[in-house]
Amino acid sequence: MIDIENLGIVFGSGKSQIAAVKNVNLSVAEGESYGIVGESGSGKSTVLRAMVGIYSHWTGTIRIAGEPLKAKRSVSSRKHMQMVFQDPYGSLHPRRTVDDTLSEPLIIHGLKNREDRVLKILKEVGLGPEFRFRYPHQLSGGQRQRVAIARALILEPRVILLDEPTSALDVSVQAEILNLLSALRKTHGLTYIMVSHDLAVVGHLCSRIAVMNRGEVVEEMSEEQMRSGNVRHDYTRQLWTASQGYDRAALETFKEFA
Amino acid sequence: MNEIKMTGFQPDDPNEDPLISVRDLHVRFSTPKGPVHAVRGVSFDLGRERLGIVGESGSGKSQTGRALLRLTAGNGSIEASRMMFDGMDLMKAGAKTMRSIRGSQISMIMQDPKYSLNPVLTVGTQIAESCRRHENVSRPEARKRALAMLETVRIREPEKVYSLYPHQVSGGMGQRIMIAMMLITNPKVMIADEPTSALDVTVQMQVLSLLDDMVRERGMGLVLISHDLNLVSSFCDRVLVMYGGRIMETLDAKHLDRAQHPYTKGLLNCLPRLDGKHDDLPVLKRDPAWLDETQDIAGEAGGR
Repeated sequence: MIDIENLGIVFGSGKSQIAAVKNVNLSVAEGESYGIVGESGSGKSTVLRAMVGIYSHWTGTIRIAGEPLKAKRSVSSRKHMQMVFQDPYGSLHPRRTVDDTLSEPLIIHGLKNREDRVLKILKEVGLGPEFRFRYPHQLSGGQRQRVAIARALILEPRVILLDEPTSALDVSVQAEILNLLSALRKTHGLTYIMVSHDLAVVGHLCSRIAVMNRGEVVEEMSEEQMRSGNVRHDYTRQLWTASQGYDRAALETFKEFA
Repeated sequence: MNEIKMTGFQPDDPNEDPLISVRDLHVRFSTPKGPVHAVRGVSFDLGRERLGIVGESGSGKSQTGRALLRLTAGNGSIEASRMMFDGMDLMKAGAKTMRSIRGSQISMIMQDPKYSLNPVLTVGTQIAESCRRHENVSRPEARKRALAMLETVRIREPEKVYSLYPHQVSGGMGQRIMIAMMLITNPKVMIADEPTSALDVTVQMQVLSLLDDMVRERGMGLVLISHDLNLVSSFCDRVLVMYGGRIMETLDAKHLDRAQHPYTKGLLNCLPRLDGKHDDLPVLKRDPAWLDETQDIAGEAGGR
């Protein structure tokens, strides 16, 4: 479904040039849920932003269902891939009602039966029709993230890109959103790429995980490796150990990976 | 437990007076939408140990920490039948006494170094300032102590970092600078309000190990406020679990699996685990009755 070859993104020029993503290769099958983990500055969000078209100056090839993406996207190609952002407090327009937020993509793509579609999608993400005319400040963090998921889902995309969808939420709300995401994937046969700094969250939702450091994919982990921590690369092992909780002895072995 | 005993002090020594003793603490806010009762009768003691306070947003955990330093916002009021710090009654202390306690005897580390450092002063100046404000030392002496402190928090080139501005340092380094600033006065108690939530996991470990050293080497009391039950249980000696402004349960951090309260169990169960399984996570169900339970048991038995 998704094939990425030799993806590279460079910011700045001259001395201050930074290669945020270097030579990334990914391949995700239809209906699969794929994870990318890494620490801040590893380039994990940049990969998603290039795929969805927020950055257009990438190099390499990105193929969605066999079709290579161009720097300039057509409106119809954008319909197939939607993104959910990290911060539900920042990604919803504060002066638009839920109805406005959900209707806008339908207007852009010229889809009919807007009212039916909005009501149907609200039900699917576990919000009642009473939420339709509310403003974001009248919703809790979890409810806002449900609206953001509904906005991505309303165009009936095949691929959803999730950029840290639960890191701004409480653990109990995080569990609800993760459950919602995995239920939606099953009913709609969606393909997910999820980015997070939290190995446990990605491990819960995804069956394969790419570990990124300094713009490069250092290793791809399988389910079995997530369970056992039996990984090849030192950086992956360090990340895995750190996510097991505070351990004084293990900390002594930590080092910087340049 | 064994680890701590080897280093010479015992958090459970009954002869030692606790550093902080709080009984029946209430924090109320008056807002345009009516009164908010944020902390409802919290009681605990803090010795020379690592105490964790865990809860979700709105559980009153941060307000509990702030009330200890009387940093509650202007529209709030604090009530407690007892709030003692090292023989001093914090409820009776005036504004001037509180100012001399804040920073020099009890310090607080906030969540995000980006917002707690002054952006137009170099970090070294800010650390030295905290030293000069509380102790009568000369500028060169303050600078020397600030440099030594930067080294203590494992910053490699203290001279270079001293003259950097906050926007020039990374999140992990910023948090170390905050810790340096808070430790330079040698406080007896440190309140850390989500000190590592904005940091990467490996950096998080490094910052925690610094705090750990301070507790062990200086016999400091540490209150770690966090939403991350797993992290707190792997780091602290004791954990208070808060919900709706009340302490639901006080636990020995090593025996989290023995949690009795349904809220604690719910919080533990809804965490995703690295077990390669993708089953639905159990969703936490809240019981309004938890807010009415008499929590005397936690106050008396759990306090020590």
